Amino acid sequence: MTSFNVIRWIVWKDFVTELRSRETISSMVFFALIVILIFSFSFSMDQQAAREVIAGIMWVAFAFTGIIGLGKSFSTELQNDCLEALQMVPEAKGAIYLGKVAANFAFMFVVEILLFPMFVILFNLEVVEEISLLLLIFLLATVGLSAIGTLFSALTVQIRAREVMLPILLLPLVVPVMIAAVEATKGALNGDPLALYGQWLELLAVYDVVFTVVSFWMFELVMDS
Amino acid sequence: MIACHAIGKSYGHFQVLHDVNLSIAEGECFALFGPNGAGKTTLLNILATLQRPSTGYYEILGMHGLKDKDTIRANLVFLAHGTHLYDELNAKENLAFALALRGHRPTDRDVKQVLDRVAIGAFADMKIRHFSAGMKKRLALAKAMLAKPNVLLLDEPFTALDTAGTEILRAYVRERLSENGTVLLSTHDHDKTRPIASRAGILRQGTLQEVAVEGLKSDDLV
Repeated sequence: MTSFNVIRWIVWKDFVTELRSRETISSMVFFALIVILIFSFSFSMDQQAAREVIAGIMWVAFAFTGIIGLGKSFSTELQNDCLEALQMVPEAKGAIYLGKVAANFAFMFVVEILLFPMFVILFNLEVVEEISLLLLIFLLATVGLSAIGTLFSALTVQIRAREVMLPILLLPLVVPVMIAAVEATKGALNGDPLALYGQWLELLAVYDVVFTVVSFWMFELVMDS
Repeated sequence: MIACHAIGKSYGHFQVLHDVNLSIAEGECFALFGPNGAGKTTLLNILATLQRPSTGYYEILGMHGLKDKDTIRANLVFLAHGTHLYDELNAKENLAFALALRGHRPTDRDVKQVLDRVAIGAFADMKIRHFSAGMKKRLALAKAMLAKPNVLLLDEPFTALDTAGTEILRAYVRERLSENGTVLLSTHDHDKTRPIASRAGILRQGTLQEVAVEGLKSDDLV
């Protein structure tokens, strides 16, 4: 019960802080808009060509945008040495990890939902029939990114070059998520039968479970080191 | 009760603490003096479970500092250099958040009382980004008051506090001592510390030497 309260209060604190400062989501949206606009002006393509490459462009934009949010997740705790207070919480640190994962997931998912219509408009996509599947792919991939990203955000927060180290350490580990998300999104946008790309959704689900559990246990070591 | 057994701490080849032995009983306030870089904050960080000693060990309330960290953390408050407060939250929200992480749920009446006690009740709904350093220090003190810890660690607690704030802090330390609490504070301010300290020590180049509180002169502290 106490652990659940810790999760709830961490999520509440991150939401309230973000609603008042609007630092994380605004910088994520602004960065992603620039990426989308650059890609849309760089490639002139018909709808068929767009369906082939748009999944990759979309997940590159989402991943780099997510890294901005993940980097801020723990760097805000350096203000007034609040990280020390989190280290001194007399509860298993896994509750703090889950609270941070939930908040990071929410920020990333909201940004993805806000940005997706931009892709649809700028790349002239027809997605009405696949929208529920696309949301499922976004959800599974974003859980994976936030699960491992939250751990590495905590790991790199006290490093001087954390803005550089976070993507360098994180991106190789999220390659399976990126590949699975791109392949599944491509399949959904092409209107392929689910059987053709269902294995990528399974891979995303397995990755989410494995890396959430591993990161949950490792977080205590990271916070105590 | 705090007991340090031959605590040493080094960063690479640089030895910060050398075999620090210290025992502070319940109801005692130990004042730790020493020049900048003497190792005062390092010792407090170790006792607050934020750092591990390189050698030796410590006990707090009879519990091993390296084995029973969570129990120790539940019974200890550390007022550090940083105030551990979130600038975007107001005073009441900061208190509610900090206490909730310790498993406490103070009532609105408790929060109001404690904010009035540290004389910032009028600013309860103000984001603390607008607070002065002294007001933040008072709010951090309010957090400690609500937590009612058995062990209180204070790192240069008088910094940024005005005369009234200093007296509020000293009254709180006396209250903890009267309830058999244990207090360890590091400071450079002998005059402000003397009224509350039961014992004192000077940390020089990582070595602790106990001295009499009454006979301590400002010249001894540099």
